[in-house]
Amino acid sequence: MAWMPSGPPWVPRRARQTPNRRTGEETLADIVFGIWDGQTVHPGKDALWTPKLTPLQDVAEYEPGNPIQAIMGWDGFFVFDPSVDLVDMARAYMEVVQRESCGKCVPCRMGTRVAVDLLTRIADGKGSEEDLHTLRRVACLVRDASMCELGHTGMNGVLYLLEHYEGVFRESIVQGVRHPRRSYHTKVTAPCIEACPERLDIPAYIDTIRSGRYTDSLSIIQEKNPLASVCGRVCVRFCEFACRRGMLDDPVNIKHLKRFVSDVELEAAVKKQAKQVSLSPDAKRVAIIGAGPAGITAAYHLLRKGHRVEIFEAMDEPGGMATYGIPDYRLPRQVLRNEAQVVLEMGGRIHYNQRLGQDFTLKDLRDRGFEAIFLAVGCWVGMRLGIPGEELEPKGYYVGVDFLRHVNRRDPLDMGTKVVVVGGGNVAMDCSRSSLRMGANEVHLVYRRTKAEMPADKVEIHEAEEEGVHFHFLTNPTRLLVEDGRVVGLECIRMELGEPDSSGRRRPVPVEGSEFVIECDMVLPAIGQKMDVRCLGDPPVLKLTRWNTVEVNPDTLQTSMECVFAGGDCVSGPATLIEAMAAGFRVSHSIDQYLRHGRVELTEEERMSRVLRAVSAVDEDMVDRLARGVQRIQIPTRSVQERVDDFEEVEMGLTPEDALLEADRCLRCYRILLVATAK
Amino acid sequence: MAATRRSETKTITVFMDGTRLTAREGQTILDVAREHGIRIPTLCYHEKLKPIGSCRLCIVEVEGSATPVAACTTAVSDGMMVRTHTPELVELRRETLKLIFLKHPMNCPACEINGNCQLQDLAHEYDINHLDLHTYNIRPVEPEPEPYATPLIQYHPRRCILCGRCVQACVEITEVGAINFKGRGALTRIAPVERMGAIKPQCVSCGECMAICPVNALTEALGKKRGKAWETRKVKTTCTYCGCGCQLELNAVGDTVTGVTPTEGGVNRGALCSKGRFGYDFINHPDRLKTPLIRENGTWREANWDEALALVAERLADIRSESGADAIGALASARCTNEENYLFQKFVRGVLGTNNVDHCARL
Ligand code: SF4
Ligand code: SF4
Ligand code: SF4
Ligand code: FES
Repeated sequence: MAWMPSGPPWVPRRARQTPNRRTGEETLADIVFGIWDGQTVHPGKDALWTPKLTPLQDVAEYEPGNPIQAIMGWDGFFVFDPSVDLVDMARAYMEVVQRESCGKCVPCRMGTRVAVDLLTRIADGKGSEEDLHTLRRVACLVRDASMCELGHTGMNGVLYLLEHYEGVFRESIVQGVRHPRRSYHTKVTAPCIEACPERLDIPAYIDTIRSGRYTDSLSIIQEKNPLASVCGRVCVRFCEFACRRGMLDDPVNIKHLKRFVSDVELEAAVKKQAKQVSLSPDAKRVAIIGAGPAGITAAYHLLRKGHRVEIFEAMDEPGGMATYGIPDYRLPRQVLRNEAQVVLEMGGRIHYNQRLGQDFTLKDLRDRGFEAIFLAVGCWVGMRLGIPGEELEPKGYYVGVDFLRHVNRRDPLDMGTKVVVVGGGNVAMDCSRSSLRMGANEVHLVYRRTKAEMPADKVEIHEAEEEGVHFHFLTNPTRLLVEDGRVVGLECIRMELGEPDSSGRRRPVPVEGSEFVIECDMVLPAIGQKMDVRCLGDPPVLKLTRWNTVEVNPDTLQTSMECVFAGGDCVSGPATLIEAMAAGFRVSHSIDQYLRHGRVELTEEERMSRVLRAVSAVDEDMVDRLARGVQRIQIPTRSVQERVDDFEEVEMGLTPEDALLEADRCLRCYRILLVATAK
Repeated sequence: MAATRRSETKTITVFMDGTRLTAREGQTILDVAREHGIRIPTLCYHEKLKPIGSCRLCIVEVEGSATPVAACTTAVSDGMMVRTHTPELVELRRETLKLIFLKHPMNCPACEINGNCQLQDLAHEYDINHLDLHTYNIRPVEPEPEPYATPLIQYHPRRCILCGRCVQACVEITEVGAINFKGRGALTRIAPVERMGAIKPQCVSCGECMAICPVNALTEALGKKRGKAWETRKVKTTCTYCGCGCQLELNAVGDTVTGVTPTEGGVNRGALCSKGRFGYDFINHPDRLKTPLIRENGTWREANWDEALALVAERLADIRSESGADAIGALASARCTNEENYLFQKFVRGVLGTNNVDHCARL
């Protein structure tokens, strides 16, 4: 099609390179023109843009053999292939905006409809000069006056196209030819959604809370996440760190909103989910090893997809690390039990006290007729400090995860009165705070870097401080002091921060001769966990990585054995609850595809997410308008005196009034991405 | 109001259209403007509800914000500079109004609330006429074939401007949550909430949604014409259905009662139940009893009050002396006032001498 951009820099298309082989400068030829955030992008424009555009070049092929022709988004567009039909693309984009418009405010509800009609008319070759004028005016209205970010951003792409390629639209009006309709890949998302490993539709469930529809809200969460009230309590909140409200004041309290709806609606909702499943008699059988967050999520989704699921769990309770690694004051046991119940109600089965490698092997499962296996055994072996004294296995020495498991199972413990915990992560926080609750008089925490580098949740650190845990930063243990088979002290050395290491954090180095002793009768190292690879036999039946985790295809989570998939901590190393659940969710697609078609590939959602991430790298996001609503609501906690002696929950939930106010703070940062591909 | 919750009495300064105003922390821009008599047009805002922010007519410019913000949902801050009526704002409001009229029919003469309609007032203020709409010239927005209705309430999707007041009123005033937005984009409409999980919010036909609708998109289902605003007389009275004492206004055209509208204040603070709101048609009903009737030889004849009371007194005295007071039983109506009912039982116990007295309890 012959067209020329009417706006400024137009650079003729260079010879296209074969996709896949893109390196360095050359590849930039692939973007013939683009505009983002008001800045034009074209080959050779300026060196600043080059690194930012690299991710875009990397996704230039949407799927094998299907190059991207153009991308249109919430703040601009990119053209890779000049033969793409921009008029039809604009029309299609506007249709998505109109379809997604929640219909609650006038400009977006009606304005996008006007825009669709005008663009359709122009694309049909029936438009007029005046239509262009009206289109512009309406687009500006929607951008400036809409209630939420969908309207604020939905028109930008079209406005930029009108600015830089007005000629194309005009030509269509003059020539009066109908543009053939094409279909496109589209995605509706938000920064918080993309930050969530499971991609929960966060603005949607917040919006339904705002209108007082708690059941709807919970259903939206449960579309993906069967453990809503668990996540609502202990999730590390990737979403909140990405929340755009944070650019204005503080992020929306997404976690507590989730806890709120799941607490008020739980019973009704669990039953409802259960009723949705019907297993056909010839359903394929899937075995899941481990009833932790990954296993339960996978079971939930596989059951919904109509497969027969049996879980093999080594312990006598569901929940895995969420049960045995998280103390009750953060996550009451009953909450998890209730939610894990959903697997049984949906017709799944859980076999307890079945340990892989001891009670059965992967081969046994195959022989018993399971056609696919999901390995989600987690990381249960706590790392040791590697210092002298440990080898004596003295009384009062427990590896952090073992200690927590004892506490959570109410198993007998050699409890001391003065405890030293080593480490700076959430497990270390859990050990410290649990020790206090188990009757320790004094708890010391030893961490080799500074507070700023502690990986633990800020809220956890704060609450531990409130409860009187003594923090020793820039301190590292060197020797365990033992007398009569019992820990009597921990020798430590002071550290100072040196050069940054590969993680970007400054590496701590010991200060010569600064050793000192903390007297104590209990030491709990919480410096990491690893997977117990013995369960895979010797030699292991699955390929492992050099970190002794299970090796998988990162996209599909398939292991070296075709019918075995793996996910959660045993693949990633110790990570978060929601990442494990996301792996469970991911694996349910893979296994479903594998059982149905014998092969596994990326889902459309994941493909679009890849493109989106590349586009986001260019995006310099900011919130430059005032928003509605109050300041972030403070979550009430039980007072320190009240809480340090028991394992009852520390954080209380939101009241309905506060939940409403908090929900009202969400800006609904929906954004729409459209990708035109050759095929 | 959402934004006032964290309010203290801390005073701050706000500049509005160049005037320096004193405001309290936690107030919205609209609150402050109204307090100082600055008019900002609104449509979805209602004093009784939390601000909704859907109509976008109250948009104002605030220094530091790249785009206008809604005055009804934005809290003021110290030193804030607000402009309420720049030419750009006026233009944006006009465009917004035009978009509303793409669906809302401009046939005001046929509408019962003609002359008493906020939307009509705004169309007048911003000089919108139907010729303006031709520039848009789009496919008509077709509402769904069978719009939402209850036995008492009828929804008119074309008229509805989706301000969301009704949805909010049902949640906030009635605390039921029976209706909500349904659909997306231009096809969005108000619809009953479908069953979710174990919960199905049921409409109780209180009519709060209807009363709060600014554009007559929710009307009484029985097809009565309400009379034009300028010919309607409003008479403030107390609802007679039960002892609560809700305040309401009877709307009358001539001697015909054409509707009930809430009035502010009173124990009910403007809210009514389905009886108080819809149960007024007996007043002008042809079958309504207007004089006492006396049954003679199996047929009823009209009588006057003196005659009727004399007859009742005579018969009561006869029965009591023939068969004793306990042969008499007395039943009063819930539609009498407390005082009347008190007097009635006093009469039955003290004068007739029996405890056989009761009350129909509810209507
Ligand atoms: S304001 Fe709402 S939509 Fe925007 S990022 Fe935060 S939670 Fe997501
Ligand atoms: S029915 Fe009335 S109150 Fe409800 S949204 Fe429509 S216009 Fe607003
Ligand atoms: S009549 Fe009352 S209960 Fe029914 S929808 Fe309207 S406000 Fe809600
Ligand atoms: S009155 Fe503020 S948006 Fe409607």
